Amino acid sequence: MRRLPAGGLIDRSQTLHFTFDGEMMTGHPGDTLASALLAGGRHLVARSLKYHRPRGIMSAGLEEPSAMVTVRDETGSTPNLKVTEVPLREGLQVSSQNALPSLEKDRAAALGLMGKTISAGFYYKTFMWPQGAWHQRFARLIRQAAGHGKVDPSPDPALYDKRRKSCDVLVIGSGPAGLSAAVTAAQSGATVILMEQDHVLGGSLLSSDATLQGLSAQDWAEDAEEALRVLSNVTVMPRTLAFGQYDHGLVQAVETLPEGSSCQAVFWKIRAKRILLAAGAIERPLVFPGNDRPGIMLAGAVRSYIRRFAVAPGRSAVVAVADPQERADTVAALREAGISIAADLPAGARLLATQGKRHLTGLAWRDAQGRKQRTPCDLLAMSAGWMPTAHLFAQMGERLSFSDQTQSLLPPETDGPLRPIGGARAVLDSADCIADGKAAAHQAMAELEMHKHLNLSRPSPAPASAEVFAAGKGKAFVDFQNDVTRDDVALAQREGYRDVELTKRYTTLGMGSDQGKTSWTNGVLEIAALSGREAAEIGHTTYRPPYSPVSLGALVGAGTGMQMTPILRTPFHSGFEKLGCVFQTSGDWLYSRYFPQPGETMAQAIEREARAVRSSLGCVDMSTLGKIDVQGSDALEFLSRLYCNNFAAIKPGRLRYALMLREDGYVFDDGTIACLGAEHFLVTATTANAGSVWRHMQKCAQVEWPELDVSLTDVSDHWASLAIAGPNARKLLEALGPDFEASRQAFPFAAVREGQLDGLPARVFSVSFSGELSYEINVPAGFAEALLARVMERGAEWNITPYGLETLDVLRIEKGHLSVGTEIDGRRTPGDLGMGGMVSKKKDFLGRALLQRPGLQAEGREQLVGLVPEDGSTIIPYAAHLSDSELDAKGCAATIGHLTAAIESPSLGHPIALGFLRDGRNRIGDVLWAHSPVAGASVRVRVTAPCFYDPEGERLHG
Amino acid sequence: MLLIPCPHCGLREESEFTYGGPCRDLPALDGQSDAGTWSQAFHMGKNPRGPLRELWYHSSGCEAWIEVTRDTASHEIIPGGQT
Ligand SMILES: [Zn+2]
Repeated sequence: MRRLPAGGLIDRSQTLHFTFDGEMMTGHPGDTLASALLAGGRHLVARSLKYHRPRGIMSAGLEEPSAMVTVRDETGSTPNLKVTEVPLREGLQVSSQNALPSLEKDRAAALGLMGKTISAGFYYKTFMWPQGAWHQRFARLIRQAAGHGKVDPSPDPALYDKRRKSCDVLVIGSGPAGLSAAVTAAQSGATVILMEQDHVLGGSLLSSDATLQGLSAQDWAEDAEEALRVLSNVTVMPRTLAFGQYDHGLVQAVETLPEGSSCQAVFWKIRAKRILLAAGAIERPLVFPGNDRPGIMLAGAVRSYIRRFAVAPGRSAVVAVADPQERADTVAALREAGISIAADLPAGARLLATQGKRHLTGLAWRDAQGRKQRTPCDLLAMSAGWMPTAHLFAQMGERLSFSDQTQSLLPPETDGPLRPIGGARAVLDSADCIADGKAAAHQAMAELEMHKHLNLSRPSPAPASAEVFAAGKGKAFVDFQNDVTRDDVALAQREGYRDVELTKRYTTLGMGSDQGKTSWTNGVLEIAALSGREAAEIGHTTYRPPYSPVSLGALVGAGTGMQMTPILRTPFHSGFEKLGCVFQTSGDWLYSRYFPQPGETMAQAIEREARAVRSSLGCVDMSTLGKIDVQGSDALEFLSRLYCNNFAAIKPGRLRYALMLREDGYVFDDGTIACLGAEHFLVTATTANAGSVWRHMQKCAQVEWPELDVSLTDVSDHWASLAIAGPNARKLLEALGPDFEASRQAFPFAAVREGQLDGLPARVFSVSFSGELSYEINVPAGFAEALLARVMERGAEWNITPYGLETLDVLRIEKGHLSVGTEIDGRRTPGDLGMGGMVSKKKDFLGRALLQRPGLQAEGREQLVGLVPEDGSTIIPYAAHLSDSELDAKGCAATIGHLTAAIESPSLGHPIALGFLRDGRNRIGDVLWAHSPVAGASVRVRVTAPCFYDPEGERLHG
Repeated sequence: MLLIPCPHCGLREESEFTYGGPCRDLPALDGQSDAGTWSQAFHMGKNPRGPLRELWYHSSGCEAWIEVTRDTASHEIIPGGQT
């Protein structure tokens, strides 16, 4: 065991069990998977992406490029988790990824299968030439061997949620800078949120042996946390990863809840006036041959495993740390853990190669005098320096600039809401970080006018060590996750892919799920060295959220299944349920589809419902139509500008069909305008456009024509609307006992009556979508069930048949009536729809001018037509294309139009279809082909007028 | 995700609004203007990099159409906006 007998922030009184590739292992509360694996002596946990090289645990944080595993718990399995980010829990089943067939014996690695084939630019080259090489030779091989973990396809039973919060100051990160900033801001009275990705606060202090203000680093962190916990204006959020910065001070974060919580994770949207980014810094690996072997770790990670987790990650260590102070600290930590120092490499040493099959066994190096050394070791602690974690800063498009002084990409000074502090701006010393956090918090408070200006000076970024190491020739990894070597970067430069964006894509440097956290600065330095340019000129690629991968479950929150969108039900819903209705979703609505009788199929039900309407009586729900109440002395003028047809002479009690155009002259929507009084109208919008027509009308009233005296009210939800349709509709209306006269003369087609209907307050509109005599009975929504009961009871005499969306569609297609989305598809003029004659020449209206554009007035545009099979019986395939010719040998034919609807008409007894056909009205009587390669059918069809049933409209009057 | 100042409701989340496009000075509906005039006003927006007067509809709020001047490069909302 590598667990140290004392020390560390772990609870030795409890033992947790987990498995790794089936092998039982243990750890303690406070461990991560990484520290527990290392405590069990396991370094080798993964095989690399391309070359299947053995990989171990290199870091102790989110920057870990290699050590990714699949973790199974009670909610299923999650792939690609970094062992450094998973807190240890009882019963976790951990398995390695990308190993063929196992970690220890990997066939792909043994054969060197990938090594010879996949150099930089491999994909580009194979896709280009030789032709077919990718598909024939490489695709299956690579897809099998490359890649990470597999997604668990079973449903995720865990619960997730989304929440919002706002504050004056958001502090991201709880190291010395973050804690100091949070305490300063909170004690000055600001509302503060402190986020920490880890499950404990302290950041780098947790593995530091520094003395701060007379306290140990851990005690200082504890005291700062205590100071925050007692304040009511502070929210401390551990286990919360801030992964993205967005406009106007928005930060998005995912909080993982502790074991045993009912909810697995919460997706947070935090609005903050100031954001202090105290995300620290990431240690930069050394680039030298064989630098990827298990046992080679970042020096800071070594100290962290020793001091925080009480794990000795080796027995005999080589120290290769550039900064003298950090080097001394690392040596001290290794000694604390009883690890012998095999070599402490002096500045100027050249690292030549490493040995070891599945674990490091030795290092070959040359000292400054050129003497070659072979040092046996099982641990190498390396560091080239530190890189500020300014990702969230850069996500908003601000450029980081490479500083020669720090040898890293630094965030510039900014007056934006997000300010990097501490390690995120290369301030590395803990005491300096405390001062920086305090100064930045005071600055933010002064800007928010919550504190006077103090003008505290801020510590400067720490310069990089002047001492550097050199490297020999060989496979030296720059990007560990994507297996990108120094040679790959060189190849990209030689082949001309010199811009960073090109180098990145050509080599895949920085394109892994770690987004190049450990590799990008080394990549910049490599490009600079190879090209002879200054590192500052190289720049960097785009930083994008998320900073570190977050689970899709958390982003989705509770919005799955029935919770995905709100479901709208009409006021007749429960009444229809009792009638055996089958419902379907239509937009946000759950709408009646058909009403099967016992043993009936849907097709049989539709045929029965349609026949009933045509021969006697049916009823259908029309409540989903938009209903807009328009009042005011300019109400008629307002509507006249909105609709293209002329209805200036409309009288109270009458209604008109009306067509609304968009500003650009295309048809937007159709509906009816009912005149309820000289200054009072009720207009309808189609179900699909109910929202957009309302929005459009509001815009016209508020923005375009504020001078008009008009007020609009959306009354769509106030009214339940049931249409009764069929030759017996008037008899039923009279049987319902209206307090107004309902005779053909007194209540003609296209009229509206208000009154009482069997004791219910009602508005009745004589309009028809089915083509039959029809009344749309509107009652206040609360009376829907009462109305339905009366209609079903009184209508029984005529065998009233409720019908749904399917029959509604069949009946309207037989009549050639338009439907939004199919015929009104945003590309049609009134003329295309056969309604050119409706367009008023006597008034101006929205869309008039642009409808006059030559293209919209051209001869031969696609026009709405009807189609019937030439043989009178063959079914016309839905969504077929129209053509003058047969399909040629290649299965092609020039299209001259397409179908919008195709049914077998119960009323006519043969198939019919609607469609758009080039110059269609001049082609009535012609015989064409309707081709559907999808249905594998081609049918000869004859062009007709779009109205198949009762073209004179006599049935409307009863 | 912007914070948009609604004169009725105060600073509100962008998700409460529907974008209404740039402000356009459309010709009057007096029967005088032709397709060319309309096309110029309707289709030929300036699309500036910088301040832009635009319309937002507070759909999940007070249902007012409001004018907002937004810098298209920085997303800064310019109070009392001028272009
Ligand atoms: Zn508002």
